[in-house]
This record gives sequence, structure tokens and C-alpha cells, in this order.
Amino acid sequence: MVTRRAERGFSLIEAVITLVVFGVVVSILLALTAEMRGYDKRYPINLMKHPQVNAVLARMRKDVLDAFGPDPYPASYMMHSQSSSKLIVYSVQETGFAQTVVWDFTTPGIVRRQAYSVGGVVTDWTARGVPGSFEVTTFEIPNRPYAVRLKATDQTGRLAIDQILQPRAHN
Amino acid sequence: MHVQRGFSLIELLMALMILTVITTTSLAVFVERSVRQQQASELILAYQALANETEIVRRVDYDSLDSLTDILSSDMAIIQPLSPYSTEVDVALVRPGVKSVKITIRWRAHREASVTVLRTDTGGSNLW
Repeated sequence: MVTRRAERGFSLIEAVITLVVFGVVVSILLALTAEMRGYDKRYPINLMKHPQVNAVLARMRKDVLDAFGPDPYPASYMMHSQSSSKLIVYSVQETGFAQTVVWDFTTPGIVRRQAYSVGGVVTDWTARGVPGSFEVTTFEIPNRPYAVRLKATDQTGRLAIDQILQPRAHN
Repeated sequence: MHVQRGFSLIELLMALMILTVITTTSLAVFVERSVRQQQASELILAYQALANETEIVRRVDYDSLDSLTDILSSDMAIIQPLSPYSTEVDVALVRPGVKSVKITIRWRAHREASVTVLRTDTGGSNLW
């Protein structure tokens, strides 16, 4: 008894059609992926979705909004000096007493907030793993000299945070 | 007789079609997620600019509010990724002594973010 094996592969037409269909699918995938990467390149990394950055912004906003006195941003306090990576704020604490708060952005990835009262440290708070780099500058609002501006750039140098903060009126 | 044969073209196309549907659906989910993330990022950038502008508007003298133009005073570098965008400032008298200032940023086709600031005529000129 003879066994006949009809063993055959795809014809050229079949292979071409399959490759065309596959090519269409791949091109769609590539187009969608390119669009997604285009979005990623256009926008800075959203630093605000990092809880520690939000915490820094919230606490700093509170300190600046509560700043008061004839010199709300003293040039220096104890061993600290005002600079683009350090903000010294004369503010008010929850108890109603004055405090001097030092925001320190000098160490990459770390933001430190130290609050002083009567020459001693009252609170010392540190946020670690903070992405990007921060810079504090003054911001000129006509006839209102007390605004500060906090800017942060992501790891690729794109501006991700730009916030102007100014004290509120106090009685 | 033992006939050994491969897949037919129809079988192969059906398999490819199923694979395409699954792949496209999965990718569509990722694309949608990415788009929504970008929309959230856009809003966060826009509201930063609006918050900054609000800080300036709240320091403008009450009587000078009507002279505000659609060009925002603060640095708009933060919303450069939204370009091209447009801005609008709309000042309206709510009632005697109270004005509302609505600041709007529009970008792309139908995206916009706005804040409204209410200003009261306190009679003073220095809020500090």
C-alpha cells in the first residue's frame, strides 16, 4: 500500500496577502505609538502628580500666604541666606506666634523645611525623592513687592511648575 | 491515505483578523489612557498660569480693572506646550462695588480652562 503525502506550503499569493495584512496592522501600531511618543515629548513630566511635590507646594503656599511684617523675606537668618535655592519667610504659625521658615532646595531630590521660633527649631520636615530641580525668585507685581515665584523643571529641563505666591493681608 | 496539509488562506486570515482585533483593542485602551493623561497635564499647566494671573489681577486697583486686556500679564512659559493657545479676560460689573474678572485660556479645538475672580471696591488702594 502506497501512502501519498500531499505536503505543500503556501503559494506566493497567499504569502503576499498575509504579509500585506500584517504590514497594515504593524503600520497602524507604529502610527499610534508615534503619536503617543509625540505627546510625551511635547509635555513636561507632571511633577504635580508626585505627592511629595504637592506637599512641598501646599506647605510653601501656606507659609508665603501667611508671611507678614515689614520684612517678610529676611536676607538671612541664623546660618541661612536668601538665595535662588533657599527661601526664608517670616510667617505666622497655627498658634498665632511668629516663626521664621527656611525652605532649602540646595540638595537635589531633597526639599527641607525648617521652622524657627525664638531662635530654636520648632519643626524640621524633609521631602525626599523629589523629582526635578527647584528655583525660588522674586516676582514683580506693580507696586506690590512681596510675591515670590517657585519654578521647577523636570529631569529633561522642561518647565513643569511655575507658581506665583504672595502674602495675604493680615490684621 | 494520510494527507498532511498546512492552513488554508481563509484560516490564516481569520487568525490574523482575531489577532488584529485583540491588538487594536488593547492599543486603543493605552492610547485613550495616554490622551487622558495628557489632558490632565494640560489642565494642570493651564491652571498654574491662571493661578499666577489671578495673583496679579487681585492686585490691580479696582478702578483699573476695566482696562485689563486679553493679553495676560504673567509669564506664559508654563503653557508653551499648549501652543497655539488664546487668552481672554472678561470684566463684568456684578453689582455696584463688585466686579468679576473671568480669565480664560483656550487651546486646540475645544479645550479651555478658566477662573473667575470677584473684586470688591473696598475704597482702599493697598491690600497689604
